[in-house]
Amino acid sequence: MVTIEKQRYMADLAVDLAPANARELVLRNPVIPASGCFGYGLEYSPVIDVQRLGAFVSKGITPEPRSGNPMPRITETPAGMLNAIGLQNPGIDKFIQKYPPTWENWDVPAIVNISAEAVEDYAMMARKLDDVPGIAAIEVNISCPNIHAGGFCFGWDARMSAEVTRAVRQATTLPIIVKLSPGAVDVMEIASAVEAAGADAVSLINTLVGMAIDIRTQRSKLANLTGGLSGPAVKPVAVRMVYQVASVVKIPVIGIGGISGLQDALEFFMAGASAIQLGTAVFSTPSVLTDLIDDLGIWLDSNGFDSLRDIVGIANPAMRGASMES
Amino acid sequence: MTALQRSPGPGARPREFRGEITAKLPVMGDSWLITFTAPQEILQSARPGQFVNVLARERAVYDPLLRRPFSVYDVSPDDGLMTILVRPYGRGGGSIVERNIGGEIDILGLLGNAFEVNPRSQRLLMVAGGVGAAPLFMLSRAAVMQGLSVTYLLGAMTADALLDASQFPQEVEYVVATEDGSAGYHGFVTDLVPDYLQWADQVFSCGPGPMFQSLRSVVLANRMGKRPGVQVSVERTMACGVGACLGCMVETKRGMKTSCVDGPVFDMDVVQW
Repeated sequence: MVTIEKQRYMADLAVDLAPANARELVLRNPVIPASGCFGYGLEYSPVIDVQRLGAFVSKGITPEPRSGNPMPRITETPAGMLNAIGLQNPGIDKFIQKYPPTWENWDVPAIVNISAEAVEDYAMMARKLDDVPGIAAIEVNISCPNIHAGGFCFGWDARMSAEVTRAVRQATTLPIIVKLSPGAVDVMEIASAVEAAGADAVSLINTLVGMAIDIRTQRSKLANLTGGLSGPAVKPVAVRMVYQVASVVKIPVIGIGGISGLQDALEFFMAGASAIQLGTAVFSTPSVLTDLIDDLGIWLDSNGFDSLRDIVGIANPAMRGASMES
Repeated sequence: MTALQRSPGPGARPREFRGEITAKLPVMGDSWLITFTAPQEILQSARPGQFVNVLARERAVYDPLLRRPFSVYDVSPDDGLMTILVRPYGRGGGSIVERNIGGEIDILGLLGNAFEVNPRSQRLLMVAGGVGAAPLFMLSRAAVMQGLSVTYLLGAMTADALLDASQFPQEVEYVVATEDGSAGYHGFVTDLVPDYLQWADQVFSCGPGPMFQSLRSVVLANRMGKRPGVQVSVERTMACGVGACLGCMVETKRGMKTSCVDGPVFDMDVVQW
């Protein structure tokens, strides 16, 4: 059945997230649910019109199946939440059998998020995904411990981040988005390194490592002790990092961190994001995703902008300078 | 009529909707039965044991961030109404009970599986503690309407924390236990269970974690083999409610299951206690 939906705005929301890649990653709009917050897309299909989204990112996939962390895995914090799910997933092989065949028939591009603890495992997964129908791009989660470097997080080190990116780049021609960790001392250095190593785009921020203690039991509220902080509480940190990264890279930046609606989304675009991901907000109000597409278009119309591109980096002097040069 | 067995077709899809609060009734000392309008397809497909996630804030503010799960207490498709049982505890329940009649309530639902009554079962035993009373109330009403025999055991600290007997249809045998002895049996509700295990074809339970532990030991010590079967509705901290975040897992003998989609109702013998 063909449904003809009347578009409620005129502005052009389309965005190209891999301009240098022949396989392209052109989205109809910039609104993307974030990895870990949208399952495999199927979970939300009864709740919202998933096909309207710009794209979606799958749960993090690892080389082998993982049963995840013990419970409790989540706890609410002021204007946020901590999670320590522990990358529960069926592993790359079962994943490929199970989900992409469904996605192949979907309009919405599917981005697969991958995590590993060794460079060669990232490359192995990228190689397996390279020609799987139904997959539009790979998002590389580098906020993982490197077992060959004493468990030091890949994403906190420019050389290790670049090494992962280069290995994935050599393993696939699919568009690659590298998801940056906010734990890095200098996120700009990491972003520049992964850009040089062949990333088509970067996304940021991943969650911030946090902790909450139950004063009754005198123990951490999470079985894993620490967890990733997300939600509105992290937004200012995320906007700052997006602004910094967008100032130094030429590849598209995808903004993530506490976006709950139009105002938040506009801040990220103005800081320099070409697209955005929403995570925690989807849990409480799944409709925020589809509402945001309309709200963005209507806002651009009523503020005299023809295209989303017109506001990307408008608050970022480094980007304004760059566009004047070109 | 509310179905007790799984229907062949899919139920109503879970969705966000806003209901208008039409009634608030104080129950169990400090709790409230909150009744609100809901879409017809949701009401007609609601089955005992299912739940809804309630936004305990306005959309423009951020605390408490996550929705709160509440089992459906009752539905009335004829009146277009759904009722939930809310305790004013914590950052969520407290703000929900403060809403006034005529105000709005922001719902995501229906969510979760349901209690499964075996078509051959004639006698059902309910074992409830605290707000665990809610899903078993709906199950009891539906069961007696279909001619089944129901005994409903409810435990509380004190007499005023019990559900009023007038809530129940006459056909339900309502038996109470209080820890201070101010009403009914003096002790834990699970102490009453052995007397009914011969009688019951199936047992359904909802309540706090320690109650499940003592229910389980009482059942294991007193029943023959695996009869009667026991279904428990568990509660976990939850984020999405639709099986996406994997935050609300229950460890079972068949692997990790989500309490929001695979549950909240599980066979007691399958849960890894």
